Amino acid sequence: MALLAPGAGRPAPAAAPAGSGMASIRGRVEVRRAPGAHGARPSVAELGTPAAAAEPDRRRSVVYLEEAPRGAFEVPSTRGTMDQRNEAFAPYVLPVLVGTTVDFPNSDRTYHNVFSFSKTKRFDLGRYARGGSKAVRFDRPGVVRVFCDIHSHMSAFILVFAHRYFATTDAEGRYRIDNVPPGSYTVVAWNDGQARQSRLTRVPDAGGVVELDFVVD
Amino acid sequence: MRSRALFTTVLALAGATAPALALDPQNLAGGRLRLGGEASFAMAAQDHGFFNFTDYRDSNLRMTRIGGTAEFRVSPRLSLLGEVRTDNFHTVRPYALYARIRPWSKREIDVQVGRIPPVFGAFPRRGYGAANPLIGLPVAYQYLTSIRADALPASADDLVRMRGEGWLVRYPLGARAPDAGFPVVASLNWDTGAQVRIGSQPVQLSASVTQGTLGNPRFEDDNDGKQVAGRLAWNPVPGLILGASGARGEYLARSALAVLPAELAGRTYRQRAWGADAEYSRDYWLVRSELIWTAWDMPAVRAPLIASPLAALAVMVEGRYKVAPGAWLAARYDHLGFSEIVATAGPISWDAPVHRFEVVAGYAVHRHVALKAGWQRNRRDGGVVHRQDFAVGQVLLWF
Repeated sequence: MALLAPGAGRPAPAAAPAGSGMASIRGRVEVRRAPGAHGARPSVAELGTPAAAAEPDRRRSVVYLEEAPRGAFEVPSTRGTMDQRNEAFAPYVLPVLVGTTVDFPNSDRTYHNVFSFSKTKRFDLGRYARGGSKAVRFDRPGVVRVFCDIHSHMSAFILVFAHRYFATTDAEGRYRIDNVPPGSYTVVAWNDGQARQSRLTRVPDAGGVVELDFVVD
Repeated sequence: MRSRALFTTVLALAGATAPALALDPQNLAGGRLRLGGEASFAMAAQDHGFFNFTDYRDSNLRMTRIGGTAEFRVSPRLSLLGEVRTDNFHTVRPYALYARIRPWSKREIDVQVGRIPPVFGAFPRRGYGAANPLIGLPVAYQYLTSIRADALPASADDLVRMRGEGWLVRYPLGARAPDAGFPVVASLNWDTGAQVRIGSQPVQLSASVTQGTLGNPRFEDDNDGKQVAGRLAWNPVPGLILGASGARGEYLARSALAVLPAELAGRTYRQRAWGADAEYSRDYWLVRSELIWTAWDMPAVRAPLIASPLAALAVMVEGRYKVAPGAWLAARYDHLGFSEIVATAGPISWDAPVHRFEVVAGYAVHRHVALKAGWQRNRRDGGVVHRQDFAVGQVLLWF
């Protein structure tokens, strides 16, 4: 997966100095393929129907600049939250900045055990009950696939960016990335585990709004 | 040598395929059809004492097991589930094949009909390699006793002669060909019948009626008797599960009953069992324990008589601790003891008591690929081989 690493976060040579005429890149990501229903193993060994789990919103995408403008890397440490509710992670995809600490509260009546064996961050939070929460700090850019060790159907993604030029789509697929300095950029639409489409765009010196839509199959 | 080469191949394959196996279990037809699979390869020295044999041919510590599972949701109230497996490539056999019915969509009542998962105990439903932190199986669920359905000891002396020889039992009554005895509970074969489960949290009640018995699950009935089994599970707080199980079923085959004197052939010979289990987990700890008592009725044909049912008591305690992300240590202690009978030489347990201790270190190379290495110690008060220790390794792939 080419997302975010190793080139991600590099300064874009074509970018003008920040502050000369900031623009917004906005648009819509249309996800045409049916979201893959995946994650659950056949429940052959169960004595009955397993408890119903919430279906994660796999239509949400993340749009980001493949290479960020200079000066985009001085970002404060922040905090994010990925809840565990109705045997699903919420949100299903969480983009964060490098240095962000993500809390994993458990809002279910059962135990959960968050873990990831991703190269970007390998961790295991152990089992904890409702009301409990543990946190992980993400110090390297990359994709972190998160699972629950108890419920094999639970999975989610954390996208760790080295810069702040990214946005998550809303329920209609719309996104907006603000304060982009003039320059040429490759903008990537990422959905459900993959960078689905990338498009080249130019932010004019005068700033303004650049419209950029994506259609991913 | 061949096993070692196969082990190396599987290990290399596991490493090479690890990134590809990042795939989720395959859900097709809009999620209505789910496919899963598991492959495991375990290697250890020859088991001369047959401590880990699951039948006459196969040791669980020298086992290549490949299985595929499928679940097809016909409607919100009806699903069809199945699993096929091959052990050491002998044959491909259906391990599970049943229909799951939820008669009322808003009531937590499920009915399963066909070759169904066992209701009794806790271990059989997590017997998959990915759910077992160790490599071996609990003694109660695997170790072969000297009880058979189709062959019978005529006297206590016949029984005593087979102490510790459960892998190849021969008796004077019934089938003459030597064959493997039963475990207390067979976890590697599922029974055929119907099962109902009521509730899910915090209390779950399950009951089943099946063709075979705990030790001898069957696809076809061999004695016109049915087994009734039940389990009550209570989950009072997250992380704690307490369970109680019971089962009773006729185990002697028609062919064995046919060779008994008329006054004995007319009686009913059952396996009865009670079980208690507990699981507690928190943070990086997981502890499980099971206690199983069982007894087989046995006809008293000839002196010295087998005067009372043949009882066995099994206890198992296992624990797992995650030492680092993807890495764990696990240990299990097992004991299987047997009641006493009076043979010509005096009182003696009807089968040889067995102790087993196993410790395993595991590492998940990837979510779907795990490597395990361990050591297993076996001690038995009888049989040709009284003690045997094993260094054992296992490669496990699942999706």
